[in-house]
Amino acid sequence: METAPREQQACVLLVDDNPQNLKVLYETLRDKGYQLLIANDGEKAIQLARRHQPEVILLDIMMPGMDGFEVCRTLRGDSTTALSAIIFLSALSDTEAKVKGFNMGGADYIGKPFQAQEVIARVDTQIRVIQLEREMQARNRQLESEQASILNAIFEGIYGLDLEGVITFANPAAAVITGAPQESVVGRTLQELNFSAPESEAHVERVLCRDGSPVLRRGVTMARADGGTFQAEYRAAPRFEGGELSGSVMVFRDITEELAQERALEETRELVAVQREQLAQASRLSVMGEMAAGFAHEINQPLTAITNYVSLVSRMMEKETLDQDALRQVLEKVSAQSHRASEVIRRIRQFVQKPASGKDAIDVARLLAESREFAEVDARNNAVSVTLSIPPHLPHAMGDAVQVQQVVLNLIRNALEASRMAGAQEPVEVRAEVLEKRVCIRVLDRGCGLPDDAEERLFQPFYSNKEEGMGIGLSLCRSLVNGQGGDIGFERREGGGTAFWFTLPLADPEHSEPLE
Amino acid sequence: MSNTEQTVYIVEDDEAVRDSLSLLLQSEGLPVSAYDRASRFLEDWRPDMAGCVVLDIRMPEMDGMELQEALVERGSDLPIIFVTGHGDVPLAVEAMRQGAVDFIEKPYHEEQLLEKIRTALSENAEQRQVREEKQVILDRLAELTPREREIMDRMIAGQANKVIAIELSISQRTVEIHRSRVMHKMGTHSLAQLVRMVLSVQDEA
Repeated sequence: METAPREQQACVLLVDDNPQNLKVLYETLRDKGYQLLIANDGEKAIQLARRHQPEVILLDIMMPGMDGFEVCRTLRGDSTTALSAIIFLSALSDTEAKVKGFNMGGADYIGKPFQAQEVIARVDTQIRVIQLEREMQARNRQLESEQASILNAIFEGIYGLDLEGVITFANPAAAVITGAPQESVVGRTLQELNFSAPESEAHVERVLCRDGSPVLRRGVTMARADGGTFQAEYRAAPRFEGGELSGSVMVFRDITEELAQERALEETRELVAVQREQLAQASRLSVMGEMAAGFAHEINQPLTAITNYVSLVSRMMEKETLDQDALRQVLEKVSAQSHRASEVIRRIRQFVQKPASGKDAIDVARLLAESREFAEVDARNNAVSVTLSIPPHLPHAMGDAVQVQQVVLNLIRNALEASRMAGAQEPVEVRAEVLEKRVCIRVLDRGCGLPDDAEERLFQPFYSNKEEGMGIGLSLCRSLVNGQGGDIGFERREGGGTAFWFTLPLADPEHSEPLE
Repeated sequence: MSNTEQTVYIVEDDEAVRDSLSLLLQSEGLPVSAYDRASRFLEDWRPDMAGCVVLDIRMPEMDGMELQEALVERGSDLPIIFVTGHGDVPLAVEAMRQGAVDFIEKPYHEEQLLEKIRTALSENAEQRQVREEKQVILDRLAELTPREREIMDRMIAGQANKVIAIELSISQRTVEIHRSRVMHKMGTHSLAQLVRMVLSVQDEA
């Protein structure tokens, strides 16, 4: 008979009070590749079974003293021998004895007198069964230990929960995080252990996933065994057994430190934003300095006119007859000119003053019109005009109006300068449109263009291709645009010149239609 | 020469400044002609324009400096008062170098501007008068015959009638006749005055 190759010789224990029977069994199974053990009474059989843990025991039922059934009961009750397959041997051929044998955990039954082939076949079958069983158990043990090691290695705490919130399982990380030993938590409820605060009741409900769907919560306060608390993030998913909700698995971790880091990061971000605004402010003042002569001119014009008109009025009043109509006309002109001067001052103030409110919905069309007015002085000095092309009903964008205007003005002034240097006749064009759910603003010129390495360096701080340039303008523009959640870039235009563009996110739809 | 023919030409792109200055000068009884662009004034310019120009130095298209250059090129003798803004001093200096009579910074006291305008007008009147007087002398000189011109040149050089007669191989009597004709045509009785008149137009004759 062919037997499967075995790593270890299988062990078979032969138990019979009759030496002749033992001899026949021994002869039958010898040389079949088994280790054979012999016992002629029940006591010895139990001793040998405990020592050698045989795969198969051929056990005679009718024996003096301890009979086969009793031996079987004893072996079954002992964990070291419970796994051995017991094949009963008896001349008894009544069904009752066979049933009794099977009921007591017997694996098989061989009737006397033995047929050698039958004995060999039945023993071999039992050995194979038992070896497969042992392999499976070993495999199971390995799998179990793997799962355990995975659960043990996981940094996150894991609880298995039943439908009532009783903890049925906890991994080592859960113990580390909560400070409660693994064995002490099983059988207790989540409510008493980690969600003891009254306001935590809702979390228990969520974690149990009674509606059958998973949850994720962050920044939740959980209690520790020592009475302290920690900030947690947890995920929970329902468990099903046979289609029925049987509880849930909760995975949680301590994010106290993470939250502290996030706060630190947020504070750093705010600091950067403040510094950006300070730089923007400094840059606005510097731009204002550069434009001061132009603004002085802008204010001097109405002041000169007012001086002239006032002189005229004094002369009119010295005359014998006062022409009241003419006087009124002149005074109206004085008033108009003083408004004109204050309008210039308003624009300067608006540009220089620190914005009180941060991001808001911006009427881009209006902002661009104001920026153009603002750049008028420069336009005149550079002998280049500025045109706007803005589609009707342009939706509002989201951003800080003063900073956006600063970017627009910077780009327009650069374009004017480039145009003048190239002696360009074409005006600088400012366009706005909606592109991919963003407002895109372009400033186009036919100016002197950009050097070849501009792509890499143009938006870097302290890079400038202007002799008197500080190299702050465009790097600041990028910082400001990024601060609004937009992008900035440029293209070389076919036929000469440059197109700078930047984008801004759209404002909420409620702001999109300008109010009538 | 009377000032009534003189006009103050204002060239200023800012409407309010132009309007207020025009009204102010008119209230002073000055004839005013105002232009919003340098190019328009240049189109209107004629050599016989009398008065002065009040010119804004900063203007779109053709600016004040360019207009000044164009006027100098055409031989204009209109005095120019530049009106400059704050910080335009270098431009003003350059303008003065080009022959502007004066400049004034905005905003200005009207008395200062009026003073500068009056000065410019009287300078212009003087210049015009000198030029007209020269023209009279030149016209008279043109009436002399070649022989009379020759004898006059010798008179001015201080030659006595007798010397002139000998050197030209004519009678002293003939010299005397020519001499009285020269004096008559030049409208003078005095040799000293004749000398002054001829010397004053020497460059242009």
